[in-house]
Amino acid sequence: MNIYAMLQDKLQAIREEAVAAFKAATSSKDLYDQKVKYLGKKGSFSELMKEMGKLSKDERPKFGQLVNEVKNTLEDLFKELTDALKEKELNASLEDERIDMSLPGNRMRLGKKHPINMVIDELVDIFSRIGFSVRLGPLIERDRYNFEALNIPADHPARDMQDTFYIDEQHVLRTQTSPIQIHSLENESLPLRVLGPGAVFRSDYDVSHLPMFHQIEGILVDKEVSMADLKGILAYFAKEFFGPNVKIRLRPSFFPFTEPSAEVDCSCAVCDAKGCRMCGHTGWIEVAGCGLVHPNVFKEAGLDAEKWQGLAFGMGIERLAVVKYGVSDIRLFNENDMDFLGQF
Amino acid sequence: MQISLKWINDYVNIENYFSKPQELADLLTNTGLEVEEVSDLGKRYASIVIGQILKLDKHPDADRLTVCQVETGSGSVQQIVCGAKNHKQGDKVMVALPGAVLPGDFAIKQSVIRGVESSGMLCSEKELGLSEESSGIMILPEDAPVGEKFSLYKGLDDILFELKVTPNRADCLSHFGLARELSNLLSLDLRYPENELQVEAGLSTKECISLEVKDAENCPRYAGRFIEGVKVAPSPAWLRTRVEAIGLNSINNVVDVTNYVMMEMGQPLHAFDQREIKGNSILVDKAQAGEKFTSLDGTEYTLDGSELVIRDQERPVALAGVVGGKNSGVQDDTTNLFIECAYFKPESVRKTSRKLGIETDSAYRFSRGVDPSGISFVLDRCCHLIQKLAGGKLYGDIHDFYPKGLEAKSFLVSSDYISQRLGMPVDDESFEKALAQLKLKPVKEGQSYRVTAPLYRVDIERKEDIVEEYARLHSYDAIPEKMPELALEPTPHEKDYELQRSLREFLVGQNFTEALNYNFENKLKASSFLGDLDKLKAYGITANPEPVQILNPLNEDFSVMRTSLLPGLMKNVEHNFRYGRHKGQLFEIGYAFGRDSKFGQDPRLAFAAWGETLDLWTKKEKAPLVLQLKESIESLLKELRAKSWSWKQEADAPDFLHPGRSAALFFEGKIIGFVGELHPRMKEALKTKEPIVFAELQLDALLRGQPKAFRVGGVSRMQMVERDLAFVCDGAVRSDSIIDLIKKSSGKLLKEVYVYDQFEGGSLKEGQKSLTFRMYFQDENETLEEKQLSALQEKIIQTVSSKLGVNVR
Repeated sequence: MNIYAMLQDKLQAIREEAVAAFKAATSSKDLYDQKVKYLGKKGSFSELMKEMGKLSKDERPKFGQLVNEVKNTLEDLFKELTDALKEKELNASLEDERIDMSLPGNRMRLGKKHPINMVIDELVDIFSRIGFSVRLGPLIERDRYNFEALNIPADHPARDMQDTFYIDEQHVLRTQTSPIQIHSLENESLPLRVLGPGAVFRSDYDVSHLPMFHQIEGILVDKEVSMADLKGILAYFAKEFFGPNVKIRLRPSFFPFTEPSAEVDCSCAVCDAKGCRMCGHTGWIEVAGCGLVHPNVFKEAGLDAEKWQGLAFGMGIERLAVVKYGVSDIRLFNENDMDFLGQF
Repeated sequence: MQISLKWINDYVNIENYFSKPQELADLLTNTGLEVEEVSDLGKRYASIVIGQILKLDKHPDADRLTVCQVETGSGSVQQIVCGAKNHKQGDKVMVALPGAVLPGDFAIKQSVIRGVESSGMLCSEKELGLSEESSGIMILPEDAPVGEKFSLYKGLDDILFELKVTPNRADCLSHFGLARELSNLLSLDLRYPENELQVEAGLSTKECISLEVKDAENCPRYAGRFIEGVKVAPSPAWLRTRVEAIGLNSINNVVDVTNYVMMEMGQPLHAFDQREIKGNSILVDKAQAGEKFTSLDGTEYTLDGSELVIRDQERPVALAGVVGGKNSGVQDDTTNLFIECAYFKPESVRKTSRKLGIETDSAYRFSRGVDPSGISFVLDRCCHLIQKLAGGKLYGDIHDFYPKGLEAKSFLVSSDYISQRLGMPVDDESFEKALAQLKLKPVKEGQSYRVTAPLYRVDIERKEDIVEEYARLHSYDAIPEKMPELALEPTPHEKDYELQRSLREFLVGQNFTEALNYNFENKLKASSFLGDLDKLKAYGITANPEPVQILNPLNEDFSVMRTSLLPGLMKNVEHNFRYGRHKGQLFEIGYAFGRDSKFGQDPRLAFAAWGETLDLWTKKEKAPLVLQLKESIESLLKELRAKSWSWKQEADAPDFLHPGRSAALFFEGKIIGFVGELHPRMKEALKTKEPIVFAELQLDALLRGQPKAFRVGGVSRMQMVERDLAFVCDGAVRSDSIIDLIKKSSGKLLKEVYVYDQFEGGSLKEGQKSLTFRMYFQDENETLEEKQLSALQEKIIQTVSSKLGVNVR
């Protein structure tokens, strides 16, 4: 038999076998294995090529070309089938990897700052922008700083305004943040602008009073300070803290360490001053006390009251939080209930 | 203080405000006397009228109810079902008609009671707010006019102001005083009350009763009058109505008059029964130490000698300005009176009142300052009324000890100064006008004015006070708003504030929620929670076994200052469990007290976390919560740029902690706190299996040297190599001891090492565990070669094995 014809038949047989095997492959890996089996270094074609030596010199290139053509056809087929299989396999794995997107990842409650510190920090930011800097002070305070130096001598009726916790004859739990003023006046250079936030204590506990609550105190001292300056600063605070449309009004009042003294009302941001439950249907909410620093306070701090003037203001932090965030019961501030704190 | 507008109207004509009381209230509020509440009694008692029961039948369906036909004026008859028993046909009664609203917001409506129509209610005194208790409905005298409004009949057609008088405005603690203020504010005439007397010229108070004031320092003025032959009797209706209107009880004509005049003029008075003034002598002096005194209400006090008292020859008969003695007060059969009207020094009265805990209207007024110049007028006013209501002969002369007249304060103030302090223009003309209006007698002196405050204005002493007077008269609304110029050396915030704030914000970012607890605690509860304080101290937290006491605590829960933040946080955990918050993590930054000294503040950072972590995706054992909290604290330490720290388990853990699941934090050379799981015994009451973990740290030690300055290095672009090493070791070997050795033997090439896996059991022997460490190596400048890495790995294995006697797997 003619060797050429025989090899040609063999080639044809391998081709048919390979095409069938490629087509029968069910995965890209299987297909690749088939490719190796037929087209690889030790594959069927390599085996066939070994037999080419049996051909005449003239026949060899001709047969070689024939083999290449078949190989190219198979390569093309392989590529075509691989693409299709890979596509199919990717789709299958995408389907496999489908998850219930409603399942949780790592569940956690969001961390929250306590509303009292939230308000304090916001106030510090507001007043820092106009030159105030924070001072703290001891919570157990000497009588002199809590009272005497603030123009509240012993046996003065103004002491009745605050129910005091006593530690001993000379020490109290500070009833107000105002002693911070005195420490600053005694120790710092003038002019000054100081803000004193912190806890204060009064012997009073009912639906509207906590025995420990928080205040912030501001004092500004300069050569000339007026009520107009005080109103300007408080109006700025009200707008920054409650909103751009909020206005303030001052009502005469009495604090031993300021003269004149005033209560500060803000127009109610809840109802836009139209009257609601929060403002007791008056359109106004009391938020602060303020005044011009009393000359006796300067005197007590060893300063010349004819040379220096000042303004001071104080606010209840719980009160501000109640007004701003609508907290319904001040006792919530001390329970540290995750669901309450989580709402801020 | 309760103010009756009808009463005010006796001295200044404010009738045109009766229809618009809120306007008057606003005026007072805006000038410094806050009106907290306006009650229009006429309105409050609208639709309550006098009726007469014409017919009374049993209710057909209820034994205890009656059906009354009640005439309520102008021929109108209402059928009213009533549950009381004390009424009969013909009685005059108070009828609340449909539409009436009784105290306590109790609205009366047309109704059907057990099938019978009822158009109103017959009222009891309690229901009308006239008394605390009452049995049955109110039965009126036979002459009560049917159809008349209740408010008119009871003289309650008045408007009451609840006035908040600040401590400086003692002059407004009376009706006349407030009327005087209103006459100034409104520029209206002021009418003084009558004080004419009919005196017996031949009889002498001084001859009848002797007076000596030994302590003139505390009693600068003392006046008194003698009245003989008065008849003590119930007060007439007008007086009773007035004293009751402002919340006092009517007692008898003499006592009511002294109270009435106090509420009228702001000057307390006292009436002594002359029979009881032993030796007919009055001495004003300090008490004798140890002597007893029984007040009008029968309470006995032991005096220490600092109190100013009024005494007769034998004993104290009154605590000066505070309260009268039971031994010498007016009785029903009293006939001769000595009426005292004095000026006691405010500090002296306040001191006695505070020390003995006696709060009276009298002490309240004296301690704020009464008008020393008004004393003789008030004494006459009081005697005038006593004579009018109780008769008696008034003796011709008076005692009036007043050796040193108290002088009105005067000082200089200019309109320019007022203008500067208010930040608005003020000229001489308007300034002078304002001061004159306020009776401050301005007299021009050079560029300024000399101002003299009347003696009743105890609050006006210096020019600053005039700033307020001028401003309140012109309304604070007139003052402009201006932002003061910023011309000062900027200073940083106090460091503690900055540091604590950054710390807070970092921890919130780590999903911790901030708690704030009371700085007080219950001594017993706290100490039973904290247990052995020496163990706590070994874990870095010093709690004084004798906490700082509060001398006058509200109750046991607030009795001492806290020594640790944990009892408070434990309370929070319990609260959260109670309300079903089964998972959470809290931190608190705050102070503990009394560590080294009584007044020292010891800043702390504490944590509480509870509840399982949801671990849906890793099927392995869950990380113990206490390790998660430890991890969070380590994040914080990294944030603070701490170079090294370690967790010690050598000492006994504090009693409230799980002994095997707690550790002390060793940081910068000392133990500064701990982390640990709550001892199972401590959470029995919570009935939960969920873990609860705590930590408490000394904040000052943690924050020392903060914030730390830092500079950053370059970044290596060389290949990072990952290697795992597993060691089999004894169960007691701590992972950090192996990590320390790995770090020591690998030097700079080691970028990171951590425990990758831990397991026990399997092929391992009992009591052994396998720890796998994952390590990352990288060089700054060159790619690491296999040879280098192998050598390094060998060195690590060598070191760890030889130092700890463990084997590599």
